[in-house]
Amino acid sequence: MKNLVGYVGRTFILFLRDLSSIYYLFRETLAQSAVILLNRKKRRQARLLEQVDEIGTLSLPLVLTVSALLGIALTVLISFQLKEIGGLNYIPGFVTVAVFREMGPLITALIVAGRVGAAFTARIGTMKVSEEILALETMAINPVRFLVVQRFIGIVLALPALTMLAGFTAVFGSFLFGSTRLGIRPDTYMREMLDVLLFKDLYSGMIKAIVFSVVIVMIGCYRGLVVEGGAEDVGRSTMLSVVSSTLAIIMFDTVMTAAFYG
Amino acid sequence: MIRAHDIKKTYGDRVVLNGIDFIAERKKITYIFGTSGGGKSTLLKILIGAIKPDAGEVLYNDADIVKLSGRELDPFRRKMGMLFQHGALLNSLSIGDNVGLPIKEHTELDDSIVNIMVKMKLELVGLRDFEGLLPGQISGGMQKRVALARALALDPEVVFFDEPTSGLDPIVASVITKLIADLNKLLGITCIVVTHAVDEAMRIADKIVILYRGTVLAQGSPQEIKASSNPLVQQFITGSPDGPISFHASSKDFREDLLTK
Repeated sequence: MKNLVGYVGRTFILFLRDLSSIYYLFRETLAQSAVILLNRKKRRQARLLEQVDEIGTLSLPLVLTVSALLGIALTVLISFQLKEIGGLNYIPGFVTVAVFREMGPLITALIVAGRVGAAFTARIGTMKVSEEILALETMAINPVRFLVVQRFIGIVLALPALTMLAGFTAVFGSFLFGSTRLGIRPDTYMREMLDVLLFKDLYSGMIKAIVFSVVIVMIGCYRGLVVEGGAEDVGRSTMLSVVSSTLAIIMFDTVMTAAFYG
Repeated sequence: MIRAHDIKKTYGDRVVLNGIDFIAERKKITYIFGTSGGGKSTLLKILIGAIKPDAGEVLYNDADIVKLSGRELDPFRRKMGMLFQHGALLNSLSIGDNVGLPIKEHTELDDSIVNIMVKMKLELVGLRDFEGLLPGQISGGMQKRVALARALALDPEVVFFDEPTSGLDPIVASVITKLIADLNKLLGITCIVVTHAVDEAMRIADKIVILYRGTVLAQGSPQEIKASSNPLVQQFITGSPDGPISFHASSKDFREDLLTK
């Protein structure tokens, strides 16, 4: 029992330490982002578009595939119930609301956390182990500006765009399945979809995506920067990065959904 | 002048540095020896401001860098270069970009001028043709030479070398040693070298500092070190396996260790 209390206490203290470190990293990232965005030469050196490309374009096939399948799965699931009461025409509205408000931002963020956040940790952690980060510091180059800012700006631009595309792809998947297999008329589908889709659904999804992108990049980079030792710690940190960003994304999602629609 | 004064550092219960005191004179070559795991790398990291000692001062021309942190250290770091033991090149950047990185970061020079400077630095270490390759595409020895070119990119006043010749073939090792001597004699760069290579140190050092069990065992010119009557110093410079310095690092009695559960 004493051990359990000790373990919980230690874990809580470590959690608070991580939280405060992530806060300082976030503050420094914002300050250094301003330096980069305001300086033309440094902006060019940071190769921001390459980051958007690496995070966004390379995640696109996976995000689109999962979104299309998600749209179809949602349609299949609810069609069983709605068919019984003759309410198949409610499917477009249901899928659109579910996807744009909740599933699209959440699923996209979880995919990107697994694909990109883990890569941030592994890459930065490996650099820490091979003393590349120490080398940057001895050259008086701010590691946050050099390593975190470009990833921060890249993901904050890429994730909302991916989320938007994921939303439309999921609805399109549902539209194809609904019109070909369930007999919902395409024009009815479009009309029902547009009837329920509010501007608020779109911007709440975008706000969620921006918050999730900050969560992914901050946790991913922080976990990389605190790697000590060797390859084993890089692996452990990468695992922790995915686990903690997944948890944080779901927590933030719940809070934001409640705030927007509660 | 760089002065380490009463530097102390512990990791947990292990005392790594216990009152290190020495002066590295300006425009001179200072070599630091010590047994493996004897705190040489820790001392080097303290000297460049990468880690803080538990106590003591590191004075750069009377300014104590131990008291500085973050950006306050930048003006000092711009005047220093560091050659890491394994190069520590940025693996995602080409050789040329690695060498050009500090120049691009700290000057407003045009890219064409930066490119010329990069070529000059790479020529200095004999690797001008390798500019476009990635660090992973060249050997470890070459990486070290590129790292030296990068350390020299901003024409520093002081360059720190962490095991500059370890893992290199004898010819490249000699070239690096000659480069260190030339940097000092021709360009007046202060060099502080951490190494195991006694012969190399005896040949070019102005001063040698020997660390043993976290303290300075001896310091002086190569001649003074050679003439020392201290058996520990003599074992260091002859590299003899027999002598007062034990090969075993364990503190616990071997017999006792085997017999206790």
